[in-house]
Amino acid sequence: MRLNTWRHFDFLLLGSVLVLIIFGVAMINSAIAGNPELIELQTVERQIVFAVIGLGVILFTTIMDYHLWISLSRVMYAVIVFFLALIFFGGETAFGARRWLDVGFALIQPSELAKLTLILILADFFERNRSQAGTLGWVVRSLITTLGLTMFILLQPDLSTSIVLFVIWGALLFASGLPWKMIVVFGLLGLILAMVAFPFLADYQQQRVVQFLFPDPNASFGATYNVNQALITIGSGGWLGQGYGQGSQVQLRFLKVRQSDFIYAATAHEFGFVGTVLVMGVLLFMIWRILRAARLAHDTFGALICYGIATWILFQTMVNIGMNLNLMPVTGLPLPFISHGGSSLLSLMLSIGLVESVVARHKMLEH
Amino acid sequence: MNSPQLNQRPPALDPQRVTLFGLVALLIFVVFVVRLFTLQIVEGPEWQAQAEGNRTEGISLPPRRGVIYDRNGIVLARNIASYNIAVTPALLPTDPGEVAEIVRQLALYSDLPISAGDIAVDPLIQCGGNLGIAEMLAIGTSFAPYQPVLVECDVPREVALVIQEKAADWPGVSIQIEPVRDYPTGVLTSAYVGYLGPIPAVLEERLREQGFLPNRDKIGYAGLELFFDSVLRGIPGRREVEVDVAGATLRDIAPVQQPVPGQNLVLTIDMRLQEASEAIIRNEIFLWNQYFDTLRISSAVIIAMNPRTGEILAMVSYPSYENNRLARFIPQYYYEQLLADQTYPLLNKAVGAQLPAGSVFKIVTGIGALNEGVITPDQIIQTPGLITVTESFYANDPGRAREFVDWNREGFGSLNFIGCIANSSNVCLYKLAGGYRDEIPEGLGICRLGTYARALGYDQFLGIELPDETDGLVPDPTWKRINQGENWSTGDTYIAGVGQGFVISTPLQVLMSAAVVANDGVMMRPTIVREVVDGEGNVVPVLTDDLGNLLTPAYDAAGNLVGLDADGNVVPDANVVSPFTPDVKWDLTTDARIQTYENPSGIGACREIPGELKTIESWVFEMMQIGMRTAVTSGTLERQFANLTVTAAGKTGTAEYCDPVALEKNLCIPGNWPTHSWTVAYAPYDDPEIAVVAFLYNGGEGASVAGPVIYRVLEAYFELKAIDAASGQP
Repeated sequence: MRLNTWRHFDFLLLGSVLVLIIFGVAMINSAIAGNPELIELQTVERQIVFAVIGLGVILFTTIMDYHLWISLSRVMYAVIVFFLALIFFGGETAFGARRWLDVGFALIQPSELAKLTLILILADFFERNRSQAGTLGWVVRSLITTLGLTMFILLQPDLSTSIVLFVIWGALLFASGLPWKMIVVFGLLGLILAMVAFPFLADYQQQRVVQFLFPDPNASFGATYNVNQALITIGSGGWLGQGYGQGSQVQLRFLKVRQSDFIYAATAHEFGFVGTVLVMGVLLFMIWRILRAARLAHDTFGALICYGIATWILFQTMVNIGMNLNLMPVTGLPLPFISHGGSSLLSLMLSIGLVESVVARHKMLEH
Repeated sequence: MNSPQLNQRPPALDPQRVTLFGLVALLIFVVFVVRLFTLQIVEGPEWQAQAEGNRTEGISLPPRRGVIYDRNGIVLARNIASYNIAVTPALLPTDPGEVAEIVRQLALYSDLPISAGDIAVDPLIQCGGNLGIAEMLAIGTSFAPYQPVLVECDVPREVALVIQEKAADWPGVSIQIEPVRDYPTGVLTSAYVGYLGPIPAVLEERLREQGFLPNRDKIGYAGLELFFDSVLRGIPGRREVEVDVAGATLRDIAPVQQPVPGQNLVLTIDMRLQEASEAIIRNEIFLWNQYFDTLRISSAVIIAMNPRTGEILAMVSYPSYENNRLARFIPQYYYEQLLADQTYPLLNKAVGAQLPAGSVFKIVTGIGALNEGVITPDQIIQTPGLITVTESFYANDPGRAREFVDWNREGFGSLNFIGCIANSSNVCLYKLAGGYRDEIPEGLGICRLGTYARALGYDQFLGIELPDETDGLVPDPTWKRINQGENWSTGDTYIAGVGQGFVISTPLQVLMSAAVVANDGVMMRPTIVREVVDGEGNVVPVLTDDLGNLLTPAYDAAGNLVGLDADGNVVPDANVVSPFTPDVKWDLTTDARIQTYENPSGIGACREIPGELKTIESWVFEMMQIGMRTAVTSGTLERQFANLTVTAAGKTGTAEYCDPVALEKNLCIPGNWPTHSWTVAYAPYDDPEIAVVAFLYNGGEGASVAGPVIYRVLEAYFELKAIDAASGQP
């Protein structure tokens, strides 16, 4: 059994993930140069520690049969809802939003783990209810499951994570065989809902969306500063970039949140078009490997786990790079595996462990 | 083969929907690559320029403004240090307690409160303004932490030194030294030294290109500060530095261009004579105003010049203004007060006042009449108290009789030319100007009067390096028709012949007309600048054209200094301001500058005979010299100059006027207008080295009011000369 596990282990997937993480650590190191506060917080060192822990998590998860997560996910669901409620009623406030929970040794962000939990819960749900696939009741029940988790995150308020959760739900619904007719109807409903919900968004969220959709040439310096600096940073990269640790926009701190939200811009600035396309290529390759796992998966549960994780990573990548390239509104979603952030990295590596677990066991029942 | 468990296991997911996911991912990837390509490769150069603009900053380094000296090296304008308390928020200690202690200590040394209330509403005004120290620092911290906040400006030197010492223990606190213009001679020389002001909006763009900053640098607003601004101000230096987002300077990315200090002016002024002249005119005004017990004489002018070289030795325009009060900034109340003052303190009246010349203009009429043969030197003229002539406005106008009175109602009896000048006989000069029956069959006439006036310096800019200079007016029939809507009358010629009526002159022009006589017909360009010196003491060439524009100095093929205009063309007859060269404008005895006319009397219009120009005979100047000498020995100036230790020649003038100020005070009584007092003289008679003009507004009789002034100035000049000779100086 042990030997069998490693026979189908996807080393290319793990390899691409490691390449992205190592590259991310290097970029964070370049991005925080000249910022004494971030250096003092040992930003790079902590990212490395999380990556090493994450590596252990991947191996451990691979060894573990992913079916064990069926029962585990229900516990996680309950715990996370509990934690989210706890945060809502007394969590640490950062930039006006309550997203962190201080557990003494670190601030943890339960919403990151919520994404994975939702994938597991829904994968299990769709596996168990294959017979009812395509019925309205099937859709509604899955929605209620999703809402149970999303509610507190929406109230935090954390719009971007909530959207990720709904996208995961939609993607799994689609993968489980949602009829095209319903897709069209839900698509329209979703659009209407978005428009109705807009007035209920927080002011800064509304402004970001409006600023993106209808750029105001007279907009104040502050409203457009970050996006504009990101564009300058990307645009001044050229073919080969200004060189690692040499980019004036990054090193002289004209680019803001350059170690997390805008790390893509920093990459484009220092490594240029060639380097950036290579990084994006690795990301695409990794997503392809996850999709491959979804296709190979022995059962629907495993396939849906992979499909959901691919959705999560692709969507977050799209939103982050789209924001950097000013193709999408500004959100706080990090670039998977590259941006700084321990909770995000750990959850993502845990997901990769799950994918490896699925791949490793795709021929197990042949015996 | 038929094992359903193995091969017919239904796929876990619809493969199409997995493939679709992959395609979507690929599509997004392609869109991003295209967008990235557009930004980085297509629009790359634009973004690179913006990134470059982010990280580089040009810093302008201010040049030191040139100093102005008198001919003996006495400083008239210089730069002194003004001390400002500056705090750079980014360099303050991180401990808020330490910052609070520094702020508390600073408040002790400055006049500012620690806190002045709510900071949200008040903008940051440097140098105190409306805020307390803590608020200023709070705004500075959030706005530009590396930009020093000027907490208080112009603190006393002692305070600055104490804070400078303490600054070692107070990181972020420093004393900034700002150069401020200082005028040690102040009001005494402000009329020609001038003052500085902020860069006006119209010049902002051009000066910015040269590296000057509107909030830091100043430019000349008046006097020599204005005229020689481009010489005095120097060239700003430049640093190209790399900055980070907080504005901290990291390093130079180009070699530093050091500023080039402005060049220094050495004037022809002798401050000792300037001071003496100022005291003399003040005294004279004080005495007369005390005598009449009213503010009678309100303004006055003295100019002393070397007639041989054109060097102005002293120039008083009284009253003037205190340019030190305008040095740091121009206080509105003071400036408005100066503007409203009817004595025009902001105007250099020596070159800019437009005045009736009165009898000093008889020099022009006399020289013209002699040179044109209107009168011979030996001819005797009858000078009763008044003459009656027919005033006609056109050729066959029968006209009507008009009386022309002499200032001396008893008349002088029979006078020759010298007697006419020495006694300043109006009737004599009326006759010379307009003709009188058989005695003077044809007078000089307005046209010829005009050409002699211009030859002697009237009705033109003389090229002195002062922006206030004005050209005055010698009227002719065409001028009168255009400006007064009336024909020139015969009576106008009589009036113009004695410097009244439409004749308008400046004190400098009056002085020059006498200086030409003293200098045997040679007109020098009056100059107030002896030389321009650079920082190392080398004399720098500076040239101007007749309109007062500075020219670019260059050397022609023959090695001569020439001036180039803005287009690079050589300007003919450019005035060499520096190095000092006596600048001959013209020699009337050799340069033909006297225009001839078809109709000397000028009925209708002056019709020039083109190309027919003539000189003035040198004996004519000799006769005028004798006339002016006789005025001193036995004429109008006899009493005033009786004790003079040197030989002098002079001419007085009592010019009737009726200006808006006089009208307002109801002084313009017909037949008894108020009068300005003039005297112009030069000495020693045989070899003139000083010519002086004195003008006193509403002074009354020329000889008795302006005469003593000239006497004292001449005495002062020769006393100073004796002192210099005794101490072995030139």
